[in-house]
Amino acid sequence: MVKQAAKKIPTGGDVENFSDHLELLALMGRDFAASMDIEETLNKGLARITRHLNAVGGALFLLDETGEKLCCTSCSGDTEITGLTLGGDEGIVGYCVQNNIAEIVRDVTKDPNFQQAVDKQTGFVTKSILCAPMSVHDQCIGAIELVNKVGGDGLFSEADLQLLQALSSSAALAIINARMAEALVEQERVKRELELAAEIQRSLLPDKRSESFPVHGVNLPARMVSGDFYDFFPLDDGRICFNLADVSGKGMNAALLMAKTASLFRCLGKTIHEPGLLLAKINAEICETATRGMFVTMVGGVYDPKTGHVRLANAGHEPPLFHDANGAFTALPAEAPPLGISPLLVEDGGFPETELDLKGGTLYVFTDGLTEGYVEDGSELQVDGLKKLIEENAALSAPKRLDAIIARINRDDQALRDDLTALIIEDSAQPEMLALHPGVEIIPSDGAGGEKQLKLKLKFPSQPNRLKLVRSLVSATAELCGCGQEASQDIVLAIDEACQNVIRHAYKDEPNGEIILEIRHNEDEMIILLRDFAKTVDTAVIRPRELDDVRPGGLGTHFIREVMDEVAFMPPPEDGGNLLKMVKRISHET
Amino acid sequence: MKHDITEKNNVTIVSLVGDVDLESSPEARKILMECVNLNRPVLVNLSGIGYIDSSGVASLIEALQTARKRDGEFALVKVSDGALRVLQLARLDKIFTIYDTVEDGLAGVS
Repeated sequence: MVKQAAKKIPTGGDVENFSDHLELLALMGRDFAASMDIEETLNKGLARITRHLNAVGGALFLLDETGEKLCCTSCSGDTEITGLTLGGDEGIVGYCVQNNIAEIVRDVTKDPNFQQAVDKQTGFVTKSILCAPMSVHDQCIGAIELVNKVGGDGLFSEADLQLLQALSSSAALAIINARMAEALVEQERVKRELELAAEIQRSLLPDKRSESFPVHGVNLPARMVSGDFYDFFPLDDGRICFNLADVSGKGMNAALLMAKTASLFRCLGKTIHEPGLLLAKINAEICETATRGMFVTMVGGVYDPKTGHVRLANAGHEPPLFHDANGAFTALPAEAPPLGISPLLVEDGGFPETELDLKGGTLYVFTDGLTEGYVEDGSELQVDGLKKLIEENAALSAPKRLDAIIARINRDDQALRDDLTALIIEDSAQPEMLALHPGVEIIPSDGAGGEKQLKLKLKFPSQPNRLKLVRSLVSATAELCGCGQEASQDIVLAIDEACQNVIRHAYKDEPNGEIILEIRHNEDEMIILLRDFAKTVDTAVIRPRELDDVRPGGLGTHFIREVMDEVAFMPPPEDGGNLLKMVKRISHET
Repeated sequence: MKHDITEKNNVTIVSLVGDVDLESSPEARKILMECVNLNRPVLVNLSGIGYIDSSGVASLIEALQTARKRDGEFALVKVSDGALRVLQLARLDKIFTIYDTVEDGLAGVS
């Protein structure tokens, strides 16, 4: 096997002589391609060129961003003029750059373009100049100038000029590449920052709730960040505070004002429960610091799932749409200007409020990104189109219906025209069910002391047909306390089974017994107390059945013990009856 | 609770929809027993069940036991997540034959 030694390409700046010009070109090309530091590589390249062409000194000039000035960025040999700035058309360098041609001035004393001022400053005596523009196609970015040849008559030749031209072009390409790479890195950095901003924005939106929760929302930004937002959160008394807003404009400035307004709403909304006052307060804050010309339209309100009652204030926003249980639509137009226009426009009492009872109907709040979004045929959806979509998808659950509506605008074949945001509040018609089930009484908590943990207190007769309503109230309460879907289902099952036991075994199907249910909630557990007034049951005889024994009956007690963390029959109360305590530990869906 | 009874390939398919609880389980029991008494294979479609409690499960067990005494086929199809969870709590998910689709059920009991 014959080993053929590859021709060694010299590396480093210590190699002085190359066998031919091509070797220098190859070496410089490689240096430029591999360079991470363009300035350093240019310094090295210029030194090689200067030595290879036997010049006494060399200088590299680059045009500045305006194209009007030439600045010396690198020098080698005996001339040191780094930092020297010339006019774009000054001197031999300027002439070469302006005309994009290479020049050889064998004897400077005979050239009218030569600037003697530099020599006077530096004390250097220029005899002969070689100058080639650094250009790729028609784009000239500067020039390389060599002065005085070592030895002989000290004058350059035509062959020297040709070689310098080739080397300059290669340097030009390297600089242009490096500048493009820098721009790409910058672009990438801006994109990453936008992605981070978008992530922060998404974190300002509330978490998705399970299907049975009455409020759901969606926010799709047209660009990376959004000027729209929505939010909702339960208050201590079980009501739900909600809002949806649209900041004027798109892009980063809108996104920042959105973040500010969203934070103000969440923070102030926890203590101010009157929507009109809340919006007035946010308005005052935004006005104090707002950027000229930017404003926010907002619908903010409070919904009570127990009664279906909604109180809302509309500051210059698209009218929310109320779809009542009979299928009729009502728009709720704004009665106040957008937030951030003027603190003086608003009266002392706050923004005007609208009140309505959902009575099993649904409230839709949305931005114009929805109604002005394009449907398949290229026309805008408009409010009429939205009403039709709502009717077409009436059979779906609230979050699925919302998804179906959004899907008509947010299609793969078309970019969103504007940020698209919508909020749905679906009332589960409990008041109507209450009317159908006389005898189930919601006992309000007086909020005093230890009663703070009390989330639901119900009194109802020992009749099976009351259980459906009890289950739906328990489910809503569990959801509001932050239980996940499975935990809510477990609590519903345990309470339902415990009520059955009371009806069937304690009251022995006697329909006029009274049952009192209490649900308390502290940080990580739900405590359920079930009280009846029947003859005290001997708890020793109550036990779950053997599971191997497949037969009807006896399963209820087993279910309760299976899904609850603690089940205890409390000592019989003084005035008789039975008291069952059940505890379910919950992990919060934050 | 609502229900619907159809017949296909000599198999009775009964769908229970809504909540099967203390209030409605006597009706569910009656419907299931009527189906079993037709002396044909029975498929119970539970895809529309929102809530089922121990009394509802008891109705299913009673129907299953009656059918088995007569060597009749009795199976559940398309059991909703909520109903399956309750069957699992009762460890009955292995006692009942459960099919994912009506077609599978028809092939299984015919």
